[in-house]
Amino acid sequence: MSGLAATQRDFIDALYSESPCAPGVAVYRRNMVANLGGALAATFPVVERLVGGAFFREAARRFLLDHPSRSGDLNDFGEGFAEFLAGYPHAKPLAYLADVARLEWACHESYQAADGGGLDIAALAGVAPEAYPRIRFSLDPAVRLVRSEHPVEAIWNANQGERDGTPDRDTGPDFVLVRRAQATVHVSAIDEAEWRFLEALAKGFTLDEASASMGEEFAARFLAEGLARYVAEGVIAGFTVAEEGA
Amino acid sequence: MAHARIPAPAAGIGLRAPHYAQLLERRPALAFLEVHSENFFAAGGPSLAWLERFRGLYPMSFHGVGLSLGSSEAVDAVHLAKLASLVERFEPAFVSEHVCWSSASGRHSNDLLPLPYTEEALDSFVAHVDAVQERLGRTILVENVSSYMRFGHSTIPEWEFVAEVARASGCGVLLDVNNVWVNSVNHGFDPRVFLAAIDPATVAEIHLAGFEAQESLLVDTHSRAVTGDVWSLFGEAIARMGPRPTLIEWDADIPELDVLLGEAGKAEAILDAARRGERAA
Repeated sequence: MSGLAATQRDFIDALYSESPCAPGVAVYRRNMVANLGGALAATFPVVERLVGGAFFREAARRFLLDHPSRSGDLNDFGEGFAEFLAGYPHAKPLAYLADVARLEWACHESYQAADGGGLDIAALAGVAPEAYPRIRFSLDPAVRLVRSEHPVEAIWNANQGERDGTPDRDTGPDFVLVRRAQATVHVSAIDEAEWRFLEALAKGFTLDEASASMGEEFAARFLAEGLARYVAEGVIAGFTVAEEGA
Repeated sequence: MAHARIPAPAAGIGLRAPHYAQLLERRPALAFLEVHSENFFAAGGPSLAWLERFRGLYPMSFHGVGLSLGSSEAVDAVHLAKLASLVERFEPAFVSEHVCWSSASGRHSNDLLPLPYTEEALDSFVAHVDAVQERLGRTILVENVSSYMRFGHSTIPEWEFVAEVARASGCGVLLDVNNVWVNSVNHGFDPRVFLAAIDPATVAEIHLAGFEAQESLLVDTHSRAVTGDVWSLFGEAIARMGPRPTLIEWDADIPELDVLLGEAGKAEAILDAARRGERAA
């Protein structure tokens, strides 16, 4: 190992450590812990609001010691924070906390996702009725589907802006749709069957395959009502028609 | 590759989210806007949409904080690819980075860490600047950083290291006058020696910012107004090399837009005096 490589490895070791270090190095360690903690607080504001600033900063410090930043882009930092909270003993009384963090990471991803083109309605109208079962809808790149045993959508929305943090429901499970529209990430709880149908579409199922798992009756109702709504909201943003017999 | 609009040698400000709407509405006279490149690495979404709106109104400067040119390891190909696609799309007037390192053995500090100023570090740094300039198809600028410790085995003064990087790679220098001041206090050298070592022909841009005193050190926090000492040193730098596009950096505890524009106005007055001096000469 070269002199430079060894110097830098030792320096990074010292930053990601709790052992005493030289005062000059300590300034950089403090900066790093503050910067990475600040990045987590920006990505997980509801988690921070739920546990308070001091608790959050200490959780963030312990998280980064075991999960060092792997990218020069701070926006990449925080993946795995939800799983860390799920196993963090001091957060145990807040059973829903890890799922709130999962939802916030989904929002973080949604905000930065590629711009979708929107569905070509005229092209869809041109599909022959006998080919409908072979339609494979795709979801907008900014859509995320999150599911929790806890009322995470109610908790998330109760902790936005000026809201006082009191959720309008105490029980889950929640089936949550995250989407981006007009430069804003929207979080809403949707019907479980519709959530499962969207999940099937996200997996690349054709309409026929998605319907098979949901039952004919639901599929017919979804095509009559849900489809237009999700297209209008930009959730369903494209389609292809699978080869016959494929 | 055609680069959009090189800024006039006048004052610009950092473009930060709290000011987007007001800037768009008021469109104050500014030579350029500077962004942190990494804040626009998203695949899509609102941040890039905002940048599209501003690019037609002001010359742009993309200032990177995460490429880690000073690491002993090769430049991160994924990070460089994201920067390259951003630069290709927006064609900024300047692309800049720092004379520092951030990562080793896969772990990032996401901070501007000081280099040991050795021949080995210099060769490695120049090779990485070459690789980035090759990949981007253009020259970049590199900025001198603030530092809070020095390596005992450094053999080259910081100012000579910076000057040699520019000479050997053909890159430009982004001279951060505040960082020169902070280091001169932290490490006890004459800031004029630093300024004198930098070839004026290589300096394409200047940065000004505020610092905070923490214990026995000055820390470059970008959270305050520019101090009197730094304004004086800026005046001396400009008198020596002539006016340059000059950025007011304010990234933490971001003030009202008018406070930032007030700082830009102060820089503009000093630049203007230098311009009048040039015409008179």
